[in-house]
Amino acid sequence: MFLRVICSPQLPASSSQIGRKNLIWVESNGGRYIPAVGDLVIGTVHHSAADFFYVTLSDYTSNATLPQLAFEMASKKNRPQLHSGDLVYARVSLANRHMDPELECVSPSTGKAEGLGPLSEGMLYSISLGMARRLLMRKSAEEGKVVVLDELGSAGLAFETAVGRNGKMWVNSKDMKTVLVVGRAVTETDEKSLAVEQQKKLVRKLVKEMA
Amino acid sequence: MPREAEPSQNEKDFILKAVREGHRLDGRALDQFRQLDLKFGDQYGIADVTLGKTRILTKVTAEVTVPYTDRPFDGIFTITTELSPMASPAFEVNRPTETEVLLSRLLEKTVRRSNALDTESLCLVAGQKCWSIRVDLHVLSHDGNLIDASCLAVVAALRHFRKPDTSMEGDTLTVYTPAEREPVPLSWLHSPFCITFSFFGTISIGEDGEEKDIWLLDTTLLEEQLRVSSCTISMNKHGEICQVAKPGGAPVEAVTVLQCSSLALQKVKDLSDFVDQKLAEDSKHRNKGGLLAELSAENAR
Repeated sequence: MFLRVICSPQLPASSSQIGRKNLIWVESNGGRYIPAVGDLVIGTVHHSAADFFYVTLSDYTSNATLPQLAFEMASKKNRPQLHSGDLVYARVSLANRHMDPELECVSPSTGKAEGLGPLSEGMLYSISLGMARRLLMRKSAEEGKVVVLDELGSAGLAFETAVGRNGKMWVNSKDMKTVLVVGRAVTETDEKSLAVEQQKKLVRKLVKEMA
Repeated sequence: MPREAEPSQNEKDFILKAVREGHRLDGRALDQFRQLDLKFGDQYGIADVTLGKTRILTKVTAEVTVPYTDRPFDGIFTITTELSPMASPAFEVNRPTETEVLLSRLLEKTVRRSNALDTESLCLVAGQKCWSIRVDLHVLSHDGNLIDASCLAVVAALRHFRKPDTSMEGDTLTVYTPAEREPVPLSWLHSPFCITFSFFGTISIGEDGEEKDIWLLDTTLLEEQLRVSSCTISMNKHGEICQVAKPGGAPVEAVTVLQCSSLALQKVKDLSDFVDQKLAEDSKHRNKGGLLAELSAENAR
């Protein structure tokens, strides 16, 4: 279990003083994904309607909507054709309680995709929410204590990944075995909550097995 | 009704491609089982089976009842399965899914219909009193291969169970408490185990285009969602087949089924040895020091 406590320098004297700066967050890696604006997520297209794609973010929850025009350079005439079962990397643009979340695959300010959009080929792995958060940290090695991906990269494996805040990780590579090794390394790190040294050892073992 | 999310197309394609090349997501061989663990409870007749992330809990209970009128010399033996929403939100209470119906039906055929438990030995007074043995099976966590794990749990729990000793004097039937007389094991005839093969279509081998079925053992939930058909073979360690079930799906070559049954025998022997070993460990643990310790007059003081 990976717990992270973020606290601001001064603790509030009374509860009335609690502002955004004076909060303490305790993050755990369990639980169900609750969409929040700005989260990067990986969804599965469930079906499409006239103007929207309906996208599944997690099991047993209602679908999120992804407007068909929320893609880079999309217009009425030219928009992506996504089918049921396709994966899409998107950002949550609207998340209200008691409402289905809305997604976008384009930055509303620049109009560029910025890496978002349909994900083709590769494999999707389920990881815990805590692991997804750690992988998405700006300095995932120092702050999140995950070095598996860096280690796999320096071991000479070529692969690309996308991490969704909803507990999903997509891995792709030309070599199928690389995808399997990356997937196993990350899921094992997650399930056994390995420390940095153990992660390095695991990567060495997996790379050796692969060769 | 909440539904299990379908695996995405990417997952389907990747897993099928990997299986065709002989790889699995968790790095197992195609015919390898996940880590299997079996624990017995403090009471007799409780077995907790963990197979990878699948977890099954079984409890056996016995009570004295009236036998069915059409079978006055037989005791009553029932197996009830429960797939609760704890295992997966897709399961609802009192609304059996196809998985649950299939599971209870297969256990019935494997354990009850193969006469693994001698029901005649449960009769106390013909037509009036008999033992009713009830097995409750709870699926605590569902990650595929429920059938094999459940069958193992049922067999282990029944073999671990002890029913109260009884005696008949004239026409009075006495049921002894465990303090009065040591409970006795059930009259167990053989231990059947289920082995489920999941098929994933065919690949061609050789140059003459000969086709070969690919199959996996001990599939995870994800693999189970992608298989084209499955076949469950139940047999005991002597190679006596109790039942073969192939509920629908794509057709499979007869030769493959034969190959599967010979591999099943090998796996059943492993499982049988595993259960024997665990039962022996448990009885050793319960009976510390053996008969000598029991007969000794020395006390801890």
